[in-house]
Amino acid sequence: MEKIIHPKQLIEWKQKSLSQRLVFKKIIVVSSGTCGQASGSLQIIEALDRELEKRNLKKTIRIEISGCHGFCELEPNIIIYPEGVFYKKLKPKDIPKILDETILKDKIIPSLIYDEPRTGHKVSNQKEIPFYQKQMRLLTEKNFRINPTNIQDYIVLDGYQALAKVLFNMTSKEVIDEVEASGLRGRGGAGFPTGKKWEICRRVSSDVKYIICNADEGDPGAYMDRSLLEGNPHSVIEGMIIGAYAIGASEGYIYVRMEYPLAVRHVTIAVEQAKKVGLLGNSVLGSEFKFDIHVVQGAGAFVSGEETSLMASIEGRRAFPRQRPPFPAQEGLWGKPTNINNVETWANVPLILNKGADWYSQIGTKKSKGTKIFSLVGKINNTGLVEVPLGITLKEIIYDIGGGIKDNKKFKAVQTGGPSGGCIPADMLDLPVDYDTLTKAGSIMGSGGMIVMDEDTCMVDVARYFLNFTQEESCGKCVPCRVGTRQLADILTRITQGNGEEGDIKKLEDLSRTVKAGSLCGFGQTAPNPVLTTIRYFRDEYEAHIKEKSCPALFCKDLIVYYIEPKKCVGCLLCLKKCPVKAISGERKKVHVIDQELCIKCGACLEVCPPKVGAVSKYTGKKRDRILKKSSVERAEK
Amino acid sequence: MKIVIDGQEIHCEGEQTILEVAREKSIYIPSLCDHLRLTPFSGCRLCIVEIIGRKGYSPSCSTYVEEGMEVKTKTRGLQKLRREILELILSEHPNACLICSEKDNCDEYKSTIRKVGETTGCVLCPNNGRCELQEVVEALKIDKVRFPSVYRNFEVKKGDPFFDRNYNLCILCSRCVRVCHEVRGASTVSFVFRGSETVVGTILDKTLLDSGCQFCGACVDVCPTGALTERALKYETLPDKETTTICPLCSMGCELEIKLKDGRILSSRPSGTGAVNQGQACVKGRFLIKDLVYSPKRIHKPLIRVNKELEEVGWEEALGFVAQRLKKFKGKDIGLISSPQASCEESFLFRKFAREALKTENIDSPAHFSPLATYMEMARVNGLKPDLNFRIKDISEAKVLFLVGSEIAVSHPMIWLEVLKAVRAGAKLIVASSIESFLNRYSSLYFQIKPGSEFYLFSFLCKAFLEKEQAEDISKSDSFEPFKKSLEKLHSSQVFEFTGVREEDLKDATEFLFREESSIFLFGSGMTQSPFGSQSVSALWNLASLAGARLFPLGLENNLRGEFEIGEKFSRKGLTFDQIIGAASSGEIKALYLAGPVPEFKKAKMEFMVLQDSFRSENIKMADAVLPAATFAETDGTFINNEGRIQKFGRVVKPVGEAKPDWWIISRLAQKLGKKGFDFRTPSGIMEEMKKASPSFLNVSYPEQQKDKAAFIGQEENKEKKFLPLTFGRFLVETSKTYPFLLCVDYNLDFYRNLSLSQEIRGLKILRDSRWIKMNSKDAERLKLKEGETVVVESLSGKINGVVKISGLIPRGMAEASLLWNEEADFSVFNLFSPTPQGVHFSNVLPVKIKRGK
Repeated sequence: MEKIIHPKQLIEWKQKSLSQRLVFKKIIVVSSGTCGQASGSLQIIEALDRELEKRNLKKTIRIEISGCHGFCELEPNIIIYPEGVFYKKLKPKDIPKILDETILKDKIIPSLIYDEPRTGHKVSNQKEIPFYQKQMRLLTEKNFRINPTNIQDYIVLDGYQALAKVLFNMTSKEVIDEVEASGLRGRGGAGFPTGKKWEICRRVSSDVKYIICNADEGDPGAYMDRSLLEGNPHSVIEGMIIGAYAIGASEGYIYVRMEYPLAVRHVTIAVEQAKKVGLLGNSVLGSEFKFDIHVVQGAGAFVSGEETSLMASIEGRRAFPRQRPPFPAQEGLWGKPTNINNVETWANVPLILNKGADWYSQIGTKKSKGTKIFSLVGKINNTGLVEVPLGITLKEIIYDIGGGIKDNKKFKAVQTGGPSGGCIPADMLDLPVDYDTLTKAGSIMGSGGMIVMDEDTCMVDVARYFLNFTQEESCGKCVPCRVGTRQLADILTRITQGNGEEGDIKKLEDLSRTVKAGSLCGFGQTAPNPVLTTIRYFRDEYEAHIKEKSCPALFCKDLIVYYIEPKKCVGCLLCLKKCPVKAISGERKKVHVIDQELCIKCGACLEVCPPKVGAVSKYTGKKRDRILKKSSVERAEK
Repeated sequence: MKIVIDGQEIHCEGEQTILEVAREKSIYIPSLCDHLRLTPFSGCRLCIVEIIGRKGYSPSCSTYVEEGMEVKTKTRGLQKLRREILELILSEHPNACLICSEKDNCDEYKSTIRKVGETTGCVLCPNNGRCELQEVVEALKIDKVRFPSVYRNFEVKKGDPFFDRNYNLCILCSRCVRVCHEVRGASTVSFVFRGSETVVGTILDKTLLDSGCQFCGACVDVCPTGALTERALKYETLPDKETTTICPLCSMGCELEIKLKDGRILSSRPSGTGAVNQGQACVKGRFLIKDLVYSPKRIHKPLIRVNKELEEVGWEEALGFVAQRLKKFKGKDIGLISSPQASCEESFLFRKFAREALKTENIDSPAHFSPLATYMEMARVNGLKPDLNFRIKDISEAKVLFLVGSEIAVSHPMIWLEVLKAVRAGAKLIVASSIESFLNRYSSLYFQIKPGSEFYLFSFLCKAFLEKEQAEDISKSDSFEPFKKSLEKLHSSQVFEFTGVREEDLKDATEFLFREESSIFLFGSGMTQSPFGSQSVSALWNLASLAGARLFPLGLENNLRGEFEIGEKFSRKGLTFDQIIGAASSGEIKALYLAGPVPEFKKAKMEFMVLQDSFRSENIKMADAVLPAATFAETDGTFINNEGRIQKFGRVVKPVGEAKPDWWIISRLAQKLGKKGFDFRTPSGIMEEMKKASPSFLNVSYPEQQKDKAAFIGQEENKEKKFLPLTFGRFLVETSKTYPFLLCVDYNLDFYRNLSLSQEIRGLKILRDSRWIKMNSKDAERLKLKEGETVVVESLSGKINGVVKISGLIPRGMAEASLLWNEEADFSVFNLFSPTPQGVHFSNVLPVKIKRGK
């Protein structure tokens, strides 16, 4: 490919590519992001390749290897275009049948299409699947059609048209005005208005300015940015070039964690390809604007996602945050004005400039515009990445898109915003999801992690889990965060072990406030959120742990017992055989008994006991005490 | 600008943090991680304040004042938050004593002393009483810690010289990490691990010794707790007196703060107000002063040789004995060696004594071998009067720095710190040396040149510049044309062959060197003592003139400049240092008076020898009289440092034993010899006379406008630009089959008078032994030598013993040894030189063979 020196050539390229593709009768898109590959998409691709070759179909049927399609629950899956047939959870052995039936004869294979878990209703077209139907996929839609290692695919879908428009028809101020008018707010968590941020950086005069794409996504269970970088890296790059033009930056960095090897690979290839065709370099698209991008890999510290420590890391120093002000827009990377945005924010930029701020600002709520990608995980039926307009209620996300709670259990809470976020209880399910409402509820939007919890989840343990994460990931620089989170985690651990003391809740609240008020960076300032929100909404669970030494969710191992109900046990020996520590005694057709002193509470007996028998139960509190007592008496008798 | 702190209106200026302003106004804000000379860290969070109009709390250490800012430092909310944060710090630090209700009485009655140990309280902490954490706990009035204690249980690191590291006491303030990186440029320690496991450590948890630490002690000085403590101070009580003096162990003269207890030195620390060092020192000033003054090698009483044995006598008898014997010799038969480590007053008096009392001009010192001497010899020959005075901060303000033949990080640590500042501010550092330098990691350009080839490098750079540029203003000088013409004989192929430098690097050098921005060239004895040192100095002079750079020699001893000035003024006619030694060995000189260092005499034919020193050396065996001299700490006087700065130092302690200051000894001896004009009672009386005798000491200059602060010795300078034509031949030191190694000899400054610091002080010996023969691991492997083994190094003229030290910095086929004047004869590199060194250098590059010793 030769260098593009005029924006017209972009259109020519697109048209030429389209005409080349006319020969293909069908396109099979294989979802092959990290989740797809983990579920076996590479074997599917291999099988497709082999079988097409065998049938001599390669000239008319095209395989497209795309990034993640979002429906992680059903990986590996494929979509066959132009019809849009969606096949889920495929095995290599399904491929010959798909080729023979669907590709050659246009017949749907009923066993491979989607069936709704609750109704059993079968849907063959991807667009009609409720999971997708209820979403508003502005950023992620292209993931269905793009091979991220081929820039041509992006060009065909009008890629870099926004850039062409910006470079040749707009001034930097106009670009910023447009972004500001769109109401776009930072998708990294804090939700600062993007246009405003750019304007601050634009106004600082300096010989050198930098922009950074923060792709150091580290929240447990969140992978929105990964899927964008893996599936559509050029949208991020295009956004960055536009941002650089608006701010007056000549160099950009994409800081991506090395734990995302596929994202690193795809974004590196994309940057190389963009350089090759003149979208990056000394003369972007033949204009006078000069811009280059470097990809930097992070070494995997959570705190590197904090902007000042991210910059320290790029500079080759330990990823320590530093006190602001000065803000990065004043003194950022190498001491120069720097604008830093999250992956998803950058990906929104071409969209806004293509379709206009007026169009964009109609989506969302008054103060939160556009769509947001969430990674929906936890005890939910449709695990996956979902893109929804801001202002949608939690209920719609969890029930309409997420398909409700697994195994028809009761919904208890949803944790948003990763370790810095908070837990929102069931009675607030009608809450519209936007920056300000979530903050008011004690949580944050964060980068878009959404962990759904059911009735079996102990909220004290959830707080313990997150605080354990933060105390391990604290950079160690400031005292409140380094020592405070450790003390918080220690107290929470103590409570879940049944050693809670009167006054612990007060202690947790006080210490949380100290950590929030005293910490240096956003990490410490938000780290106690999981503690504070769980205390706020689930105080009774804390009290149960502390006062009654009981875990209402029957989760905390030290506070529960497994018990075989004598009335229900049929003496099948299943649990007895399964028990790893031989804590269960009994004979065939006789009631089995767990020796509580030996039991390690692994739960294997509960799992293995046939549902229709249902003889194994968990107990906590007083009932637990009685069972323990009884068991020790029995043991003594023996 | 105007700001308000706690209702108090304050006028302040420029870029200052709230904390700095508050400190100036004596408004107390607790803080633990902040330090005057370091960048803000904002980690301890104790210095938080409220700023009206800003959300939350801001750390005052890193928040800069703004016009109209209103700050509150002591609200109830703040104090509560500070206390909680301090409690968190204490939860990881032994705290039993800190919060003990009886702590006020404890010191007096020791009522609770048995209740705590090192891991829980302060009683056994080496920093007890000087701990900043204690101060902050006191200020914030903490009486309990609500969090369970977490003892981190780190092993105390005791494997390094001079200080221990007990990270159980560390509060992670990062001062040590910052000072090591920001100020010292060593970056030996850093934070390792994260979260609650975060700790300060070295790479792969190696010892400091193996991590490039130079043991400057800066980290110990900034540590607010007992985590880093000087081992020698560990179980000492608190000092009862503090005073300052000037360090005599290198040519910069750092101001040291000496802590005393009952009239004895406890420790020395760099003084924060020192004009040269500003709170910094090096391993010698920081850790060796006490050991030096109280060395077991000190001579306590005068000795005279009676019946072949040295016997202790009183001063009267000793001086009488010496006077009586000296009277018997004619002036020309007497030689005297003075010391560039003694004060100006003593140097002057010693010369007056030689001339007037002994009627001899045969007096000199090792200053004769200094870069200053080589430089001034070049100047004298060519009728130049170069500028010698500079101020150390000129270096940090330079834009281009060219360093030749000196490992300044070791020999001139304070200059190194200024170089580092300059580099951090964007200056280009260019380094040329034969042995890879520590500075390499900070240099823009580094030439590893073949030993002795500086001459070609400089001349080539001149030629390359003149080929490219028209230097109009310079070419007016009469000397320019002959110089330019002389360069025609220099061929580039020769240059690349002789220097071993690549052409493209030389191109870059011309880029940097001739930027016409303020540039400073510094050269050390590594260059001047090479066999072609004189030519190199001339070539460097030309280069500096072309580049418009200031050129300064890096002297080594503390009073070298003073000694040199006095030597120039008062005795230039007699034998030189090396000639005196040669004459003493051969018997041409019959009486030798040693007040300065000389190599050990193996056999000498002289008839009478006086040793006036503070320490015993091997030469004592040949001495007929030994006069115990006081050290710098036991007298007062004046040094002139490398900058030309006049440095007054005062007496810190009483002399050890019956030792007396040199000026006293010489005055009394002169009086015994019946001379008048020697009845001095103080060094200042001597100085008065000196001023009359030499205009340099009278025309003192005060560039800082503060007469008592920075006075510089007067100098005659002549700013005429003169170029020196050069002749080019095959100036190369070459190895042969018999002598296959090139030995580079480094001038070793680890001595004070007759005391070899590295031989006497264990810590320094581990760090840098004067007897090391450094070589490449490949060469050592080939010779089947292991580190620590004894080797014999043999040159055409002699052989010495040494100890193998493997070093990655030494190129293959080369080795490095150091020249220490008062080294024992078996180890003295002096033996490798040809017996009568001519001219002003001792030739620091020698072809040698190295083999295993016995």
